[in-house]
Amino acid sequence: MMSHRGRTLTGWGVVNLLVVLYALFPVWWIVALSFKDPSTLGDGDFIPRKWTWENYRGIFQTSEFTRALINSIGIAVIATTIAVVLGTMAAYAVARLRFPGKRLLIGMSLLIAMFPPISLVSPLFNIERVLGIFDTWPGLIIPYMTFSLPLAIYTLSAFFREIPWDLEKAAKVDGATPAQAFRLVIAPLAAPGVFTTGILVFIFCWNDFLFAISLTSTTAARTVPAAIAFFTGSSQFQQPTGSIAAAAVVITVPIVIFVLLFQRRIVAGLTAGAVKG
Amino acid sequence: MSPSTKAATGQGRAQLSEGARQERRLGLLLCAPAVIVMVAVTAYPIAYAVYLSLQRYDLRFPGQAHWVGLANYGAVLSSPFWWQALWVTVLITVVSVAIELVLGLALALVMHRAIFGRGAVRTAVLIPYGIVTVVAAYSWQYAWTPGTGYLAALLPAGSAPLTDQWQAIGLIILAEIWKTTPFMALLLLAGLALVPGETVRAAMVDGASFWQRLRLVILPLMKPAILVALLFRTLDAFRIFDNIYVLTGGSNDTGSVSILGYDNLFTALNLGIGSAISVLIFLCVAVIAFVFIKIFGAAAPGGEPERR
Amino acid sequence: MPRHPRSRRRLPAAAAALVLAAALLAGCGSGGGSGGTVVLNWYNFPDDSGALQQAADRCGQASGGRYRIQYNKLPRTADGQRQQLVRRLAAHDAGVDIMGLDVTWPAEFAEAGWIREWTGAAKQQATADTLDAAVRTATWQGKLYGAPYNSNTQLLWYRDDLVPTPPRSWAEMLAQADALAKAGKPHYVEIQGAQYEGLTVWFNTLVTSAGGSILTPDAQAPSLGPPAVVAAGIMHDTAVSAAADPSLPNQMEDENRLAMESGTAAFELNYPFVYPSMKANQPELFPHFKWAPYPGVTADRPATVTIGGIDLAVGAYTRQSDLAFEATLCLRDRENQLTNALEGGLPPSLRSLYQAAELTESYPFAAEVLAALDTASVRPQTPAYQNVSIAISHTLSPPASIRPESTVADLHGQIEDALGSKGLIP
Repeated sequence: MMSHRGRTLTGWGVVNLLVVLYALFPVWWIVALSFKDPSTLGDGDFIPRKWTWENYRGIFQTSEFTRALINSIGIAVIATTIAVVLGTMAAYAVARLRFPGKRLLIGMSLLIAMFPPISLVSPLFNIERVLGIFDTWPGLIIPYMTFSLPLAIYTLSAFFREIPWDLEKAAKVDGATPAQAFRLVIAPLAAPGVFTTGILVFIFCWNDFLFAISLTSTTAARTVPAAIAFFTGSSQFQQPTGSIAAAAVVITVPIVIFVLLFQRRIVAGLTAGAVKG
Repeated sequence: MSPSTKAATGQGRAQLSEGARQERRLGLLLCAPAVIVMVAVTAYPIAYAVYLSLQRYDLRFPGQAHWVGLANYGAVLSSPFWWQALWVTVLITVVSVAIELVLGLALALVMHRAIFGRGAVRTAVLIPYGIVTVVAAYSWQYAWTPGTGYLAALLPAGSAPLTDQWQAIGLIILAEIWKTTPFMALLLLAGLALVPGETVRAAMVDGASFWQRLRLVILPLMKPAILVALLFRTLDAFRIFDNIYVLTGGSNDTGSVSILGYDNLFTALNLGIGSAISVLIFLCVAVIAFVFIKIFGAAAPGGEPERR
Repeated sequence: MPRHPRSRRRLPAAAAALVLAAALLAGCGSGGGSGGTVVLNWYNFPDDSGALQQAADRCGQASGGRYRIQYNKLPRTADGQRQQLVRRLAAHDAGVDIMGLDVTWPAEFAEAGWIREWTGAAKQQATADTLDAAVRTATWQGKLYGAPYNSNTQLLWYRDDLVPTPPRSWAEMLAQADALAKAGKPHYVEIQGAQYEGLTVWFNTLVTSAGGSILTPDAQAPSLGPPAVVAAGIMHDTAVSAAADPSLPNQMEDENRLAMESGTAAFELNYPFVYPSMKANQPELFPHFKWAPYPGVTADRPATVTIGGIDLAVGAYTRQSDLAFEATLCLRDRENQLTNALEGGLPPSLRSLYQAAELTESYPFAAEVLAALDTASVRPQTPAYQNVSIAISHTLSPPASIRPESTVADLHGQIEDALGSKGLIP
């Protein structure tokens, strides 16, 4: 028994290591680029020969990048929260209730998810200019919400369909109030879906470049992907590779924290779901 | 009469019971905010884009805009650039989604059953998805440029993979896979978690090997999750843009339909043709969605809820 | 009937509160100043050296309180800048007062009615002491639409430890590279061969150096002809010779610079930004890093190198055009152009500056740059320039597969379509 368990552990250890390596070696390349001195930037070494903090110092020299970080985090958090809330409500209705127009809703949200955003950018720009929300936080939050709602609704309703709602009834039969039934039975089962959707929507808002570059013009609302397009090297022809890499490392840190925090939620919810059999 | 008896006798008639009416109201109320947001924001832009596609409208000569009906579509469909881009897009979509499905499943299994270091493994797997796409693409481009990149150093001297159409497409697919497999893995992991442990254990007791368990028990039970993941991933893969834009800029015939649309809309400022391309991309994607929903039976959540 | 916990009813309220909070936050975020001095918005390429901000501040002060210039950055790439400007000008945005246009855009922007014409005294001041080629780039249909700001052109850079005398023609350069290759020494000729604007620049330089032009003088039809065949031939020969860097079809200016600095190349055709970079990054190679005029198509005829740079234009929808013209003239005056040259590394468009002692100190190649600019060629001037450029770079890419006669014939048709803005662009 011991040797079998030992073999399984080593087996898993190797697999874990492989997975982590596969996922992270290009990330290490970015980290390495961010620490390279400009003179060694082109040498192709995987590990820098000359280490320097210059790239990091450079991006924080002006408040532009810090401002962009704040914008990114704020806009992504708000857009994600609202999209998940609205999506949860709609998905709950779609998965559990009977009402007319369900197919219409799903069809419409798929249509929005499928239409190429490049054509929508200019009309949106015009609308936002007229409404005065161009280059503001709501100016980005609203499109992000809108374009992540289809994914949110679809994913959440797929999750919600699988939840055994009878458990709620059983809990109430056992004497729980509706609030307790929801909190203790339904919420933990719904949690993995909600948090999975939350992560996906957050990353969509975080990564988006097209809307960010088209619907902003100053640091008031410009997010990090767009801000990177404004980085310069020492001349207009030089690609600011070091700065871009440093910026990439800096903005990946919140994602890592966000994922680390919420992947536990998914785990808790998932194991609860598996145990119920 | 009590509401329930009323409902029973009212069967077959259009009259709804109080309960059903309340359910309808609640359902519509819960959906309303999402619907209002989506319609308010996208109705005009989508309608405007379709309207533009029926006009000859070059932004540089705004006074010459006029109605041409379907002529733009004719121009696009008869252009070799469109078919070249479509072929490249289909190739990239099919190959990358197929590989991502297999790889995503493997990752989901690892994330699900990891014995130790679960948190670290799960986080590590999700990081590629969290890195800004454009930045990841830059890092790949740099890695494959001869002389300056570590990956290029592994290739025979004198080869510049990004300048050859097939090699560049291969690298684009690689970058795409690395970036978005976590998306598949995440959705598949959730689907995996809903497979009852009992059923799998029962199969194990019955003597099924790992592969048999996978093929005959786990995958069939995961089918809804697999189809949702495939559907969304295919829709996104078809509209690939960022990776191609940074890695090759669409040169050497590696451009996708999105790049074609972008070039015609933003560079040539030809709003008519650019919008026509967008509508055609939309129609292609709609066909894909239709195939998934009708033929493969991807769960369209609009179906009646099962009362269990 | 399912009963829903109270928390469900709180959600819409929470959502509304969040949206409100977001709106308020946004209100705090964008500090709009109204009233007081007039603010002129200047949109230009991003500059981290501080030179542009200095210019904006200086001119604001020089106005005596009548206006203040707000320097707004545009994205680094020319395409990104154009997109932002086009989007706003097409929407008749009054917030774009002054903008820095790449030298190939004035025709397009003027035809679309997005920039104002320069007339009278302002026109005089904008063109006084300014390089002819630069003024030509800002002129469309005989009218001036911009004030040249900075200029740029390419030189031949080479290593004098490998190359004793710089070549005067492309054929000579390729032969020298060949000899170096046989001797096993670094021998690449670094040139921009990727499918982008730089390829069009290379083609334009070669065609005009051979005595021809891409378009007819009235810019209504392609001209091409035998000079174009010669040009295409040179591009093909370079790409298939030993002198070609393997990543030639994917190289832009920066990749050329990096390759030269890594020591694999003997020649480089590039802008002057490579000089301070080599000095900073490769102090051992730097003493051998020399420059010479761009090689001609034949040894007896000097090259006419394509001019680059930025022209400052005034937006058509600005509400304070008088102040905008005045501010623009200040932004490009002698003092500011000198600062730009010394700190931003961009060659000026004012002739007399090329004799200034401060300039020649940090620009030892100033004389060669001026000589090149005096004979510079301009890229085709037409509102459909973007289409034409894409047609050229698409047809000539990759350079190794050019077959001079048929490629130029193909190009003829492509440019015709592009001029009529017919059909799709690749």
